[in-house]
Amino acid sequence: MPEKLEAHVRRNNNLAIIQFSGDVTTFAEDVVQNAYHDATLYGGHNIAIDFSACEYINSAGIAAIIGVVTEARRQGRRMLVFGLSPHYQKIFRMVGLTDYVEMCASEEEALRKTKPPEK
Amino acid sequence: MADDVTRSIEIHIPSELGYEKVAMEAAAATAKRMGFSMDRIQDLKTAVAEACVNAIEHGNKLDVSTKVGIMLTIQPARLEVNVTDEGRQPFPDRPIQPGRPTDNRGWGMFLIQNLMDEVKVSTEPDGGNQVHMVIHLDK
Repeated sequence: MPEKLEAHVRRNNNLAIIQFSGDVTTFAEDVVQNAYHDATLYGGHNIAIDFSACEYINSAGIAAIIGVVTEARRQGRRMLVFGLSPHYQKIFRMVGLTDYVEMCASEEEALRKTKPPEK
Repeated sequence: MADDVTRSIEIHIPSELGYEKVAMEAAAATAKRMGFSMDRIQDLKTAVAEACVNAIEHGNKLDVSTKVGIMLTIQPARLEVNVTDEGRQPFPDRPIQPGRPTDNRGWGMFLIQNLMDEVKVSTEPDGGNQVHMVIHLDK
């Protein structure tokens, strides 16, 4: 019954993007961890998570996200998220995740925020 | 619905993760019929899902031979939701503070308390846990 979470990791300029599709729940922990690990292999400092294809995120899924956000902080990486519905934006603020990740309206905004200064 | 009859919907789901989505959709359909805003329906869906997951994982310890009961009671300006389990064990008592992402467990009850207008958690004499939640129509 849970919609299996799938992750696709790609690069757009200096941003590694983890694109999730499916439910972010208890069953998502390994997928979230592995996707984060794959994103770090791109060697980038900036990692963004795209939630636009995730309709259901529960507390266990949030715990999994908190896990990788904590790891990213420890490694000195910058985390961004986009594609969250207004409800899940509220949930992310509620649990304090927005103190540690930057919420963006779109991939374009995430790219703008992480664009290196022009020389 | 101008009569004095209390309308209620009762469903039971197996203690298997994923079935909480059935309860979410039933609660959402009921709230939509009552005239709740989409924003509040989303709050309700999350709270009902978290209460069911708590019941499945903690109350019934993922024993698929047990069931989780969800009772939706329609009142004139509020929707009451009772989620009950068979009490294989009491809920853990771990208050969570916002803004501490290293504490990565126990967010379910935190979300319920922050999304619903009234919440009461109790353990019945027979050992079953109950989460009683109320959402007001006028908010």
